[in-house]
Amino acid sequence: MLKMTHLQKVYRTHLIETYALRDFSINVAEGEFVAVTGPSGSGKTTFLNIAGLLEEFTGGSYLLDGVDVHGLDDNGRSRLRNEKIGFIFQGFNLIPDLNLFDNVDVPLRYRGYGAAERKRRIEEALGRVGLSSRMKHYPSELSGGQQQRVAIARALAGSPRLLLADEPTGNLDSLMARGVMELLEEINGQGTTIVMVTHDPELAARAHRNVHVIDGQVTDFDAESSPRHVDAGAPVAAIS
Amino acid sequence: MEIRPILSALLRSKVSMILIGLQVALTLAIVCNALFIIGQRFERMQRPSGMNETDTFAVSSVGFGEGFDVRAVQAADLALLRRLPGVVAATSINSTPLSGSGWSSGVQLTAEQKTQSANAAFYMVDDHGLDALGAKLIAGRNFLPTEVGIRTLDETVAPASIIISQALAKSLFPGESAVGKQIYIDDPQTTPKATIVGVVERLQTPWVNDGYADIENSLIQPQMLVIGTASQYLIRAEPGRRDEVMKAVETQLAAANPSRIVGKLRDMEAQRRDAYANDRAMAIILGAVIIALLAITALGIVGMASFWVAQRTRQIGTRRALGATRGDILRYFQTENFIITTLGLILGSILAYALSLWMMQAYQSPRLPWHYVPIGFLCLWALGQIAVLGPALRASRVPPAVATRTL
Repeated sequence: MLKMTHLQKVYRTHLIETYALRDFSINVAEGEFVAVTGPSGSGKTTFLNIAGLLEEFTGGSYLLDGVDVHGLDDNGRSRLRNEKIGFIFQGFNLIPDLNLFDNVDVPLRYRGYGAAERKRRIEEALGRVGLSSRMKHYPSELSGGQQQRVAIARALAGSPRLLLADEPTGNLDSLMARGVMELLEEINGQGTTIVMVTHDPELAARAHRNVHVIDGQVTDFDAESSPRHVDAGAPVAAIS
Repeated sequence: MEIRPILSALLRSKVSMILIGLQVALTLAIVCNALFIIGQRFERMQRPSGMNETDTFAVSSVGFGEGFDVRAVQAADLALLRRLPGVVAATSINSTPLSGSGWSSGVQLTAEQKTQSANAAFYMVDDHGLDALGAKLIAGRNFLPTEVGIRTLDETVAPASIIISQALAKSLFPGESAVGKQIYIDDPQTTPKATIVGVVERLQTPWVNDGYADIENSLIQPQMLVIGTASQYLIRAEPGRRDEVMKAVETQLAAANPSRIVGKLRDMEAQRRDAYANDRAMAIILGAVIIALLAITALGIVGMASFWVAQRTRQIGTRRALGATRGDILRYFQTENFIITTLGLILGSILAYALSLWMMQAYQSPRLPWHYVPIGFLCLWALGQIAVLGPALRASRVPPAVATRTL
């Protein structure tokens, strides 16, 4: 599903070069639930941005669902992102002036679906996160946990192959965090691949496997991970 | 097009939308009416006077000292003027078109009628008058030297022959030739009728303002006006020699008779500029108002859109992360502007016609032609789209990675 090989991301100024990711390799198989952990500034978010086609990389290769993303133009990246990836952000990133229905509708409009298809998908997605009765509500009328559920519904509505979650429970209390985590596990159980960036060890422990990043490099992996996710051909054994 | 969600989002923050919408509405209403008024003023300013304005100028002479014989001086001056190199024609004249002061009176066809048939401006010239004015004779003939008389304030000798403008001819004798017809140009009880011997194509009255309705109703009498010791001459120079002739005339007249003051040397182009100074000032002021309003509206749109782009940077990044292309973001802001300006323009159209109606009632101005509003509508649409383009392009360049940045 997601295969990065010797990936490199360098930020250059006229004075210095800063390596955000260095010789970064990872292989995530379809259906996996991978937690990427590491301290602040380790490169987790850069990895997530590149994985989600939000940023370009400066070296190495990246295959997303078999598509080599290197060389895709901005429009191509946008389309691929829209089709293949669902995002869940730490701050939910809902649009405050749109009600829940219209918030979930945002990626579907960019996909170009017709009105009836969009309506079906929105109702189904909001139903899946238990908010179908609040479609006309605005984000400010919801709790943090409910807002993150809406964000999950928005991510799911387009039936993505890969769900990228950036600290999905970072802004929630423990009760709400547990609810969101259970929802993610349920979604993963239904076959959606999830890559989650977190620094919460408790959350990371609930993933199939952990990838630890320090200084832009994969330094460790979780030995408890299920062998079915191992990609023996990966050049760097960042996974078990 | 994302019109419905954009509109519902706008309705959640109405104040900005209402402010910009009202600005657009007022701009449309004022710009349409101001442009119409400017157009009317330009039309007025371009009306032909019927005379050759390029090559003509007027000059006055006021005698002083005892024994100043104004009639003798007039005859000598005209002889001198006509001899000067570069002079095509010269006449004594009581007033000129565009001067703003002159004579006018009612004329009538019969002695019995209670109301006058028409009102006309009176020009008094000699047999060189038509040449000096450059007026185009379209029927009949010019005055004969023997027809030219003297008119003073004390003795009024009604002229036997007159020439009238085409507009006056049509008003007095619609559908028939005026040449040979007779009219009363003074008190029917004391003066006989005058015979129309010629018709000129056009000759404006001295008054070009709105208060004088029949601006082309003019009548020319073969008379040399003498009031006190003052005289006024109209001189037509050869094409291209007006300024040179003006200097020569001033010098020669002053030298010919030191017992008078030569002055009020004024070419007809300057006279036209003076006559329409108010119209020109009005057009300039309204033009400045239009430019200022359009600039303020455009800047308002730029400011508001820039604020929204800055305020929604994360939202734009999120949309990009969710699959929006740069074009989608550009179109989002353009559509948003389109909705606001359209709502403003609909209100502005109503305001434009309402303002026109008010001006019709308050100032008797003509009705705003219907096409001004749709043209203004399109122009302001375009202005809105151009104004929002910069901020919208900036928005489209917001990187999608903004979505994952920590607040």
